[in-house]
Amino acid sequence: MTQRAFSLLKQSDGHSITFDAMASPCEVLIDSDDPLLASEVAQAVTQEVWRIEDKFSRYDPNSLCSQINHGDGQAISIDNETYLLLNFAQQCYELSDGLFDISSGVLGRVWQFDGSDKIPSAAQVVEVLVRVGWPRIDYDEQQIIMPKAMEIDFGGIGKEYAVDRAILSVAALTDEPVLVNLGGDLCASAPRHNGQPWQVGIEHPGLVDKPSMMVSLYRGALATSGDAKRFLLSQGKRYSHILNAKTGWPIEQAPASITVAAQHCVEAGVFATLAMLQGENAEDFLQAQQIKHWVIRHPSE
Amino acid sequence: MINKMNVLIATSVILLASGCTNLGVQPWERDLLAQEGMSLNNPVDNALDDHIYFSKEASSGGKSFGGGGCGCN
Amino acid sequence: MQLTHRSKPKVLNVKAALSLATCALLGVNPVAAQGEGQSTEPWSFDTAVLFYSEADRVSALEAMVSATKEFDDQHFLNLKLTLDTLTGASANGAVAQPHAQTFTRPSGQGQYQITPGDTPLDDTFKDTRVQINGQWTQPLGQHLTGSVGGHLSKEFDYLSLGFNANVGYDFNQKNTTATLGFSHFKDTFSPIGGIPKPFASMGIGDSNAPNWDGDFAATRLTDQDDKNTTDILVGLTQVINRRMVTQFNYSYSVVDGYQTDPFKILSVVDGQGISQDLVYESRPDKRTKHSVFAQTKYHFGDSILDLSYRYMWDDWQIKSHTLDSRLRIKLDGGYTIEPHVRLYSQTAAQFYQPFLHQGQLMASFASADYRIGAMDTYTLGLKMGMRLKDGNKLAVRLEYYSQRPKDSGFTQPGALAEQDLYPGVDAVILQMSYSF
Repeated sequence: MTQRAFSLLKQSDGHSITFDAMASPCEVLIDSDDPLLASEVAQAVTQEVWRIEDKFSRYDPNSLCSQINHGDGQAISIDNETYLLLNFAQQCYELSDGLFDISSGVLGRVWQFDGSDKIPSAAQVVEVLVRVGWPRIDYDEQQIIMPKAMEIDFGGIGKEYAVDRAILSVAALTDEPVLVNLGGDLCASAPRHNGQPWQVGIEHPGLVDKPSMMVSLYRGALATSGDAKRFLLSQGKRYSHILNAKTGWPIEQAPASITVAAQHCVEAGVFATLAMLQGENAEDFLQAQQIKHWVIRHPSE
Repeated sequence: MINKMNVLIATSVILLASGCTNLGVQPWERDLLAQEGMSLNNPVDNALDDHIYFSKEASSGGKSFGGGGCGCN
Repeated sequence: MQLTHRSKPKVLNVKAALSLATCALLGVNPVAAQGEGQSTEPWSFDTAVLFYSEADRVSALEAMVSATKEFDDQHFLNLKLTLDTLTGASANGAVAQPHAQTFTRPSGQGQYQITPGDTPLDDTFKDTRVQINGQWTQPLGQHLTGSVGGHLSKEFDYLSLGFNANVGYDFNQKNTTATLGFSHFKDTFSPIGGIPKPFASMGIGDSNAPNWDGDFAATRLTDQDDKNTTDILVGLTQVINRRMVTQFNYSYSVVDGYQTDPFKILSVVDGQGISQDLVYESRPDKRTKHSVFAQTKYHFGDSILDLSYRYMWDDWQIKSHTLDSRLRIKLDGGYTIEPHVRLYSQTAAQFYQPFLHQGQLMASFASADYRIGAMDTYTLGLKMGMRLKDGNKLAVRLEYYSQRPKDSGFTQPGALAEQDLYPGVDAVILQMSYSF
């Protein structure tokens, strides 16, 4: 396991902290010249983010998520935080009419979005689809029982949840404005002291004509859902990595990238995903919801 | 009172409006425009100034409504 | 999730439901979660105090409190309270003379003397005014915003009631906004002493004389009169590029009703320029105004330039140009400094006359009020703003306003040739603002 560390730098107006987590470059900006406070904030944020990663990452064999996924029909004990996350996943499932389903991670067994043309056969998809179905998972405040061969994946909300938790942990320390950015999912706790907005660059790697966009944020969260790096190209058709949990196939005509602004990062992230799941109706959905959003489509569309 | 000036202005505005579809910025380019100094309105200062100039000069309004108000002398 | 009209209520609930779900997950209070970008204090306030003072003339003190609150996403209520008091002397319209002059106060009770060679000023004016405004703004549709507002202004002798409504339509990714506005005001004026008869002679005598009241009443037409003002405004706001935004407006305004100033008079002079009589002025009761207005704001990076021009013309033959410029410079530490220059020029109203000749053919209307005569004004100012530790803003503004009435080409016979018929008026403006 690589050494976990963060670096703390003094900037012209405040401090910045950089570190790696959840397979993404992460940074925290603090609008304060106090080095002691910056150090405390760095400790608090990295501790919280790495804690969440260790607990909910399905790639870490020691995580609670992995334990749950190897439950094999047995009841696995969970704590209050996990219970709340499962509740949240339940509500997202209901709000999306079943399209947002955290048990759909197993579809990744047949869909590898590596830019190649290896799309699975219909039979393969059907075979893996039987392992998807949130309503079959049984849980309460104390425990969760996963049916055999089913798995849950917190990847859809994990990073955004970590952003919100990090912001809350900083709020317990100080009122100074802070921006937490975990690989493009970010939240600003308050406007900067000078009254200027935080200038945020949203990366769209792989989109040649729009490598990054600048957004001005006073406070609140931004989350981006995009398929720039993860897609399949077969017979001229582009398959986005957003899968329809009911059919097992990718959503058609999904935008290249959606960025949503909301008060909390988790909220913004789910909105972005829900919008992606609308495919060609993504913009209509976002406009009807009356939330701030930015949508980028592939040039051919 | 329709006169040449009115027609000229109306035409210019329509021409400007139709040519305006090419102008503008993408939503992510609004960083400078979003700053408070770039707002076209400064309600308190404008209201106080308008009151002074309405009382001391023969013109009023233009940017916003100039009607009514007070018996300022 | 189908997006049909039938399922619209369900679609709108997603945002609220997700918001609540998020608050449950994070353990935060849902009441505080009103939406991104909302300030924690529901009401935001802008307050200002302004002091205006002309050398030897009118002084005014004005205080304003404006409060704004966002009730729902993009639903705003603004309430504004303004108080002002006015004292001091203003020109009554008569011309200076080489001898002392006596005038009757507007109320008819008492007289005042003017020193030889001085521009006659009436210092009776002491008035306090209260004004209340309310404005409600909300989205009417995806690209449509509407606003309605009410206005009430009350002074001892004046009442103004009005309302306004406007709609804005934005398109082209919010780069272009078209606005249409309408306002209507009804003002009622009950001046002290009543409304004088047009061109009636101002009685000069002793207010305590037994037949004074009767004589004074004979110069009076009625107790009060009113006027209606209707405005229509058409505007276009356009973002030009990342640094620049412009606005164009056209306004049409019709004023119908009493527009004479009941406190202003004209001197009637003989061939030697000596005042023989003083008569009350009279202005038309209809005025149609047009104005075109253009404004642009350009962001240089460290500073912002605000430049605007207005051209006004009306059926009183007044034409005016207004050029207004400001440069807002950003300094370190949240300070801003903003120099300001405003240039104004107007032509005289068709019925403007600095005085009347004895025996001349009487026009229907005449006024010697320099404010509708030919005049140039200029304003030079400096504003300093700062952002306080708690995010609140403080600003101080100091301006010098100079009114320069111009000689409109009326020959000044006899003694009038030595008098200054167009004295300039210089004023200082000091304003302090605090926003929180």
